[in-house]
Amino acid sequence: MSGSLSERLAAYLSRTWGEPVQVADLARISGGASRETYRFDAVLASGRRPLILRRDPPGSLIETDRRCEFLALKSFHGKGVAAPEPLILELEGAELERPFFVMVRVDGGAAGSPFQPDAYAPHAAKLGEDFFGTLGRIAAADPLALPISDVFEAPALGDCWRRELDYWSGVIEADELHPQPIVRAAIRRLRRHPPPPAQKLAVVHGDYRTGNFLHDGQGAVLAILDWEMAHLGDPLEDLGWALDPLWRDVVSGKVSGMLTREEAISVWERASGLKVDPAAFAWWELFASVKGQAIWTSSAKEYRDGGYMEPILGFSGWLTARRHDEILAAKLAEMGP
Amino acid sequence: MTPSVTEVMRGCAAALTQPPSPDAGPDFFASRVGMISMLANLAAQEAEHAAAAAVAENADIRALFAQAAAHDVALGGRLARAAQGVDTDLTLTALDAANARLRRLLIALHERVEDAGDAALDRAILALYVRMAAGRRLQLGG
Repeated sequence: MSGSLSERLAAYLSRTWGEPVQVADLARISGGASRETYRFDAVLASGRRPLILRRDPPGSLIETDRRCEFLALKSFHGKGVAAPEPLILELEGAELERPFFVMVRVDGGAAGSPFQPDAYAPHAAKLGEDFFGTLGRIAAADPLALPISDVFEAPALGDCWRRELDYWSGVIEADELHPQPIVRAAIRRLRRHPPPPAQKLAVVHGDYRTGNFLHDGQGAVLAILDWEMAHLGDPLEDLGWALDPLWRDVVSGKVSGMLTREEAISVWERASGLKVDPAAFAWWELFASVKGQAIWTSSAKEYRDGGYMEPILGFSGWLTARRHDEILAAKLAEMGP
Repeated sequence: MTPSVTEVMRGCAAALTQPPSPDAGPDFFASRVGMISMLANLAAQEAEHAAAAAVAENADIRALFAQAAAHDVALGGRLARAAQGVDTDLTLTALDAANARLRRLLIALHERVEDAGDAALDRAILALYVRMAAGRRLQLGG
């Protein structure tokens, strides 16, 4: 279809909303490696609406279902979690040629980089309360009462770990271009020592970490973003990912650059009403680093194959992959045979 | 294997020569150029150390194979032969190919060590993993 992206988006919105819509100030922004993200204003007779367009790229860091991201936002918007309001889901692409969705834009927030030292000072502790408290509230929700359950079958509590490990070890198996003995040793260990069944079924955000939320600079979370890996599973999965050493501030040593590990767990337990069993959590923490290495393995494959050579893919397939090898090797050596 | 220096530098060149999309805002470009700058910095580190790191890792794996050959009847012959190897072609392509062969054998050995419950050799392999990962370390701003 001819015309600029603005023109095509305006045509789509006009058709969908049944009234003339103009698109103003459309600009691509950095919004993760799995979607093209654009900010724009929809100009209607009633006024301007600040919006975000998330469109599938030609290639992607991870294969995700945009319907699941849309329904995850729908599940939590307005329910005590700062999830932006989702508005439109277009699975066929229509005028934009690739699947996309539109959500309300949250203005005035900042996103901290996971690799920026002391990214949240001087409000890190207050922000950590909100960040880990929000994660606890996500864990506390009943997933079967939420729209996201439309796209996922509920796994048995005892199968949550196996389903995730099977999936991510399969990604490594499929995408590995060079033998990776360290992550393979970790996968074998996880299989030999499975965790106990999940204490409850929860919505798992899937990528809950530094860099995937907006904050107001005063210690409050404004928006939890990047729900594209959301699924149903063990609530400890998200906590393990958020506490992974990859996101640890190298200067302060604080998890996610905000709180000590003990403080973060305590905030999460209070908000979720759940308990962190140390043995189960050790499994999910090791799994988090395996999952990370699987994502970076896919990223490296995409980059090396030359199909989608965005610099972010080279970065994540390189620096973060090396870092996760170090993290995994240290964890395995500490655990011993 | 993570991308090679050659692949990363080619990727950076491609990203820099890609015509700008009319929809890309200044913030997106600033972020993208920043990412390319970080990649170039990492490539500088890797260019300096990659060959030495690969040679050291290959030698470390071979030394462990020499130690393990006597323990494993089934793999012993392959381990002993691999332990005798020497890296004579020092191009990164050749070093990576040798490394891939050694790593595949290391995976097979570790699986057998775990199955056999050989705690001492298991610990030696886990310690090797720590050295391998440290030897390939990259640092932001390094």
